[in-house]
Amino acid sequence: MNRLRFILKNLCLTLLLGVAAGGFAQIDKLNRAQQLLQARTPELAQPAIDSVIKNSETKSDPVSWTTRAYIYFEIYKKAEKQKLNSALRDTIISSIKTSNALKPDNDYKNNNNKLLVSLSTHYYNIAKTLLQDSLNDVRSQQAYNSCKELYLLAKPDTNFVARDIEYYVAVGSVFSNIFNNDNKNTKAHDIAKIAHLKVFDLQPDNAPANMNMGLMYLNQGINLVKSLDYGADLSQIDAIQENIVKLAKQSEQFILKVYRKDNKNPKAVQALYYIYRMLNDAAKQEEFQKKSKELNIKLD
Amino acid sequence: MFLFCLISLRFQQPSNFDTNAKIKAVFLYNFTRYFEWPDKKKTGNFIVYIVGKNDNLVTELKNLASKKKVGTQDIEVKHTATFDPTVSSQIIYLLPDVSSAVKDVASKNKSKGTLLVAENAGACKSGSSINFLVIENKLKFEYSKSNAVKAGLKTNDDFKALAINVD
Repeated sequence: MNRLRFILKNLCLTLLLGVAAGGFAQIDKLNRAQQLLQARTPELAQPAIDSVIKNSETKSDPVSWTTRAYIYFEIYKKAEKQKLNSALRDTIISSIKTSNALKPDNDYKNNNNKLLVSLSTHYYNIAKTLLQDSLNDVRSQQAYNSCKELYLLAKPDTNFVARDIEYYVAVGSVFSNIFNNDNKNTKAHDIAKIAHLKVFDLQPDNAPANMNMGLMYLNQGINLVKSLDYGADLSQIDAIQENIVKLAKQSEQFILKVYRKDNKNPKAVQALYYIYRMLNDAAKQEEFQKKSKELNIKLD
Repeated sequence: MFLFCLISLRFQQPSNFDTNAKIKAVFLYNFTRYFEWPDKKKTGNFIVYIVGKNDNLVTELKNLASKKKVGTQDIEVKHTATFDPTVSSQIIYLLPDVSSAVKDVASKNKSKGTLLVAENAGACKSGSSINFLVIENKLKFEYSKSNAVKAGLKTNDDFKALAINVD
């Protein structure tokens, strides 16, 4: 916040100096917009700056567009910061893009970039809220992509791979957890799977994603058995066993990736014990029981 | 700025539910449909006697007992670490840690109308009527009709078709 105030102050001073040589009428309007911005009345500055960017004398000046971006930003902050779709935010972004296209000096370019980073952060927060609180993966991913797009506009050399992994692991975790609690929620399963597959594209041995995928299959098998009625006939038991063996083997391949990377990972050791128990593999079950004991992992 | 990892770390625990115990319980309940116990064992509770160590199985069978009956009989689960010949039951399940007792238990229960179930290679050859074994990661069971007859049970031939027969 303080940083933004500092930027605003500097921007205003620079603008005052910068526009001194321009046409007086438009300078007046720009000055007025500046003063109103400084006076924290951006709503009053808005009509003035909108007139400035339409005027032939000032519309090709990046200063006008950056000023407009800052004025709209102040209005946006009050009302639309948490909205995924915001006309004010769109105006800020288009104003910055226009300013950048008009080749501003370094100071203005930096100010534009700082504003873009702030907007990117807002998108990030929206993505997080939509994922955690609203469980809306589509809108969350939309916000995350916008966050990324703006950040890259400000800092084109940024490598987003680590952040993409972090984001998609979070999506996968949220939705695999939903699926683990309700195996009938195939939509959650699919969302989690797609998110994890995106992670595997970027980092095939990513531990949390492999763990999540493995646990999804393991818990799916467990829930299948849990739902089995005691009165089920022998053919039903056979069918269930057929399915749980498949699920346990699918789970095993993901969990083993985690275990091979870190053979003291308690969750992996614990999960492998349960997997081998499900697979009726007494030797491996015993191996992981011993390992669990060594690592003080509580089983059953 | 990027704190999504906090969301990721909060979830995901493997469930410790013992699928094997549940499947064995379902198998055991199934077995009761294919045998006929002598009249003296058709009254009172239907006792499933577990010998050896498997707490999850005992819990699962107690859960089964709270939900199902064998005919009109309530199911009761008894459990001891070693075999107690004074316990009268319809089913004795000898767990792997007491598998060496199969022969002795089988001989002591001859004609008593007790279905002996074990979980050890060759248990049917030692006198068990049913023996669990693992084939391709799945739980299957061997069946010795002659041992069941010796134990005093009336058998159902449909059961032979469902089992791996050892006679």
